Amino acid sequence: MEQVHTVSNLPEIERCIVSNDNSSNLLIGSVIPEICKGQPCVLGIDEAGRGPVLGPMVYGTAYCPVDNNEELLKKLGCADSKALTEKKRDDILESIFKETNWLGWMVEIISPNVICNSMLRRQKYSLNEVSHDSAIGLIRNVIDAGVNVREVFVDTVGPPESYKRKLSEIFPELKITVASKADALFPIVGAASICAKVSRDLALKLWKFMEGIEVEAWGSGYPGDPVTKKFLSENIDPVFGFPQLVRFSWSTASKILKEKAVLVEGDEIDDDEEDENKTTRAITSFFKPKAEPMDTQTTPTVDRHIFFKERCLQVCNSL
Amino acid sequence: MVEIKSVNFSTMSINLNINTDVLNSSESSKMHLLPFHIDHEGPANVSKYFTSYMKSSPSDENGLEASFRGLPLKGKVIPVPEGYKGLVFTETNPNQIEDNQRNFFLKNKFTDITYWNYDKLPSSNDAFVSALDWIHISDVIHSEVDDEEVTES
Repeated sequence: MEQVHTVSNLPEIERCIVSNDNSSNLLIGSVIPEICKGQPCVLGIDEAGRGPVLGPMVYGTAYCPVDNNEELLKKLGCADSKALTEKKRDDILESIFKETNWLGWMVEIISPNVICNSMLRRQKYSLNEVSHDSAIGLIRNVIDAGVNVREVFVDTVGPPESYKRKLSEIFPELKITVASKADALFPIVGAASICAKVSRDLALKLWKFMEGIEVEAWGSGYPGDPVTKKFLSENIDPVFGFPQLVRFSWSTASKILKEKAVLVEGDEIDDDEEDENKTTRAITSFFKPKAEPMDTQTTPTVDRHIFFKERCLQVCNSL
Repeated sequence: MVEIKSVNFSTMSINLNINTDVLNSSESSKMHLLPFHIDHEGPANVSKYFTSYMKSSPSDENGLEASFRGLPLKGKVIPVPEGYKGLVFTETNPNQIEDNQRNFFLKNKFTDITYWNYDKLPSSNDAFVSALDWIHISDVIHSEVDDEEVTES
């Protein structure tokens, strides 16, 4: 896994995001509180930016000693980040940053390019697997940094039962709880959710276009956002499609390219619609004798040697 | 100065107009061979949208990584074989062919090609890479045979 960038305030997070090559992932975290290395700790995990067609997906974790954690975290206001206003989230994050002696956190910013490459590679790797691996990586990073993790609370991605089984197999020594809406149920997941959401919003807002295009606004990234819609319809390169801020593997994006960019064909480009229309061959067709070539009038073609066939080499008679 | 070389096929001949300034210049163009058919002829924003994101591969020191419309690509730089030159010609007006004569003009030259595969590092299993074998084999089988060598064996 990549190196963790240690930060202690929002401007430092901003600087990290701006200096990162935005086609690869970025790990940012707090200093590890000394107390977390000794006392048994609880760790929460949540994500932000899973659905949008633009920008990175962010996985966040927060951890602190188990003792009295719910009360202390509630005092900071840690709850489901989606139920809070942007201002409120920023304020709570500022207070999380101040609690350096007992509360630690870490986020992984997963580049939209990494998401596309994973989902579109030969051996398909789903968004759920990307998510699970990021969560596993965060837990491992925190443990490797010396934190005495005992209990883990995770907001689920996919069915909670199989996700829990997967995590328990990797971390048999931990007490693991996987639940939906865990961010509203467990304050430590609420804290993780705020770290993830604020980082996701920053990473989207501070995006630098390596394509050198000038864009005023790209909105929230949700397919229904009119600003995002406008951005997608106005920033199409006929050959390369979209800048890498866009998740090409989202149907919103691929539909627009199908209509407005040039056609690209290759074995690896799935056409789902065509697959659906494929008709099944009648079973009798497999038993019909193959038609013998009757046409002896045509001049026999000389079969080229396998050496040339394998190399796709042909004699060039014209251009 | 422009040198003209003719290549004759059975049905037509092609005049290669070789501008020696282009041929002898120290500049060469960057060629990328992508594993797709792209329905586009003309300029493309290669340096902004493609090479700006190119990286060396973490698993192979000679390997490269890039993306095309979100698809992961793996590539390698393949030099033009020794004794050969990589040249790019353009045809000004393909619709006006007189007396089965076509005119091609030297536009650029290149010393290597970056060959890309979809999510797989290029190797000698790729037809393009192994096609270059023919150059060496062709040299060997077409070179003159020493009489003494034949009688000895």
